[in-house]
Amino acid sequence: MRFSLVVRLAGRNLARNLRRTVLSVVGVGVGCAIAVFLWSFSRGANEFRVRGVAESGIGHLAIVPETWIDTRDPDIRLANWREELSRARSHEGVVAATPTATTSALLAFGTRVVGVEMLGVDPVAEPKVSRIARAIGEGRYLDASDDGAVVVGREVVEQLDVELGDELYVTVVEVTGDIEYVMLEIVGIIDTGSKTLDASLCHVTLDELSRITGRDGPTKIAIMVDDIRSIDEITAELSADASFGNTVITWKTLVPAMGADADADDVFNNTLVGTIILVVMLGVTSARLTAVLERKREFAVLLALGMKPMQILRLIMLEAFVVGTAGSVVGLVLATPLVYLLATKGLSFTDSFGSDSSIAGVLFDPVIYGDMGAWMVPVAFIVGIVSTLAAAVYPTVSAVRTDPTSALTMREG
Amino acid sequence: MPEPLVSVEDVTKDYHTGTVTAHALRGVTLDVDEGDFMAIVGPSGSGKTTLLNLVGALDTATTGNVSVFGTDLGGLTRGERAELRLHSLGFVFQAYNLIPVLTARENVEFVLELQGKHDERSGRALSVLTELGLGDFADRRPNEMSGGQQQRVAVARAVASRPRLVLADEPTANLDSENSEALLSMMRDLRDTQGMTFVFCTHDPLVVSYARRVVRLHDGRVESDERKETEQ
Repeated sequence: MRFSLVVRLAGRNLARNLRRTVLSVVGVGVGCAIAVFLWSFSRGANEFRVRGVAESGIGHLAIVPETWIDTRDPDIRLANWREELSRARSHEGVVAATPTATTSALLAFGTRVVGVEMLGVDPVAEPKVSRIARAIGEGRYLDASDDGAVVVGREVVEQLDVELGDELYVTVVEVTGDIEYVMLEIVGIIDTGSKTLDASLCHVTLDELSRITGRDGPTKIAIMVDDIRSIDEITAELSADASFGNTVITWKTLVPAMGADADADDVFNNTLVGTIILVVMLGVTSARLTAVLERKREFAVLLALGMKPMQILRLIMLEAFVVGTAGSVVGLVLATPLVYLLATKGLSFTDSFGSDSSIAGVLFDPVIYGDMGAWMVPVAFIVGIVSTLAAAVYPTVSAVRTDPTSALTMREG
Repeated sequence: MPEPLVSVEDVTKDYHTGTVTAHALRGVTLDVDEGDFMAIVGPSGSGKTTLLNLVGALDTATTGNVSVFGTDLGGLTRGERAELRLHSLGFVFQAYNLIPVLTARENVEFVLELQGKHDERSGRALSVLTELGLGDFADRRPNEMSGGQQQRVAVARAVASRPRLVLADEPTANLDSENSEALLSMMRDLRDTQGMTFVFCTHDPLVVSYARRVVRLHDGRVESDERKETEQ
């Protein structure tokens, strides 16, 4: 049988009960639109999370000592860190790499004391990786020639009641276990907008930290990549060449709570999209089944005339394909303006975050932007067509199994 | 003696509903010869339609053999039986059973299309419809035609591919006597001009009067098989 006749028959069958066909198309369209919108939000939320983590100075991935992963001991240092840093910076797809180390410190001014996590940084590279380092409210960030300089968070300044140019009395424990005291001048004040984060910020140069603690080098090298989809690939490549005792881990391992959140969100979003697709499928199945049952006698006639079950299957599947394709187009038309709004205006969580937009030391932008792109077209068509075809399987099997004798008027006479 | 077109040998057909078994046919033996114009008659429940279903390769016998054109239907798969129906048999149903979304011409073309006769389908469909007096109705859909016209389209669909055997189930049941007579006359002409064989299941005395051979069934058995010397 030529395809043109099947197409003509399928088209007229769909036009036969136009209202039902239109409702099916709209049903598939709404399902597609919701799926595309949720997908857009999910992708946007994932990028939001990864961006938040990475730009909080943590990086998309990091080179760390293997033993650090379990102990998180800030006193452990990377082996061959200069070679590791050079190799990371020259790796294709890496935008920036910056070494850091931390130590606990007490900052004192007069009778006031604040405990902080002092971060030793590369003053040139750190602002490329960390949004925190770029959030200078007063003064300036560190530079490579600084000696005895410190940058602190706004809340530290408030609690110590200090200002730019004041010298802080800093107490740390050095490598020998002895207490070390130094005076550091405040050259900049960081204002991230998060009181929690600003209350613990204290940046010095990595050289300064090494001098104070007596421990040379960084604990980790934070790395930013140009495409978050290449994180796993670059992690594997850098890991393969890592020095003995070092390893490369992604942000999910660096901030396990965020990684677990991301995985849970993925499961939730996929379940939500799956549920919506299932509901759409059930609706379409119901509509297609009704359409098929109404034509049971017609299928019996076609079988009696010599049409093969496979040809009937092709006919019904073609009808489902047309409904699915039209539904996908409707879905795209419905979803595009919504996704555009989500991608341009975003969804603000300012009220939820309140005055503090940090979670677990990660500084978030309180607005989630949806992802809009060419991916929407295949997603809409795959969701629309595959779900409609899947929904048509049972009605098709029912039609193909029609007994040509039982459905005809050839009743026992 | 020429081989019969259809040979039914000691055929039984049982239907099972739960624990109840209905014996629709109880050992029917019957031949249909080339050029027959045969009516199968009998009261409701006598097995007429069951016999037609078996001869039409729509169903299979419980026991016994049904051969059509020398082929034992019992040995054919579902697909092979569909092929046989498509290429060698024509069906006319009581309720016309035209495809409602296709025009008269497309309904007739449909079987030809299924047979793969793409190039000749359009011309032949129109030619058959014209022969049956439906040339002006070729582009009408079934719901735009009377019952008599629809049944003629159904006949056109059945004979357009020039099958050797046409099976008709109560073809005049929904027609008035004028349309019934026209239809029967037309089918007899087709037998005479095209050499087709017709088998009817019917309650209609008019069909019986047109038939050259009348087989009476009763309780699933052949009660009589009467051949007329002359036709009406």
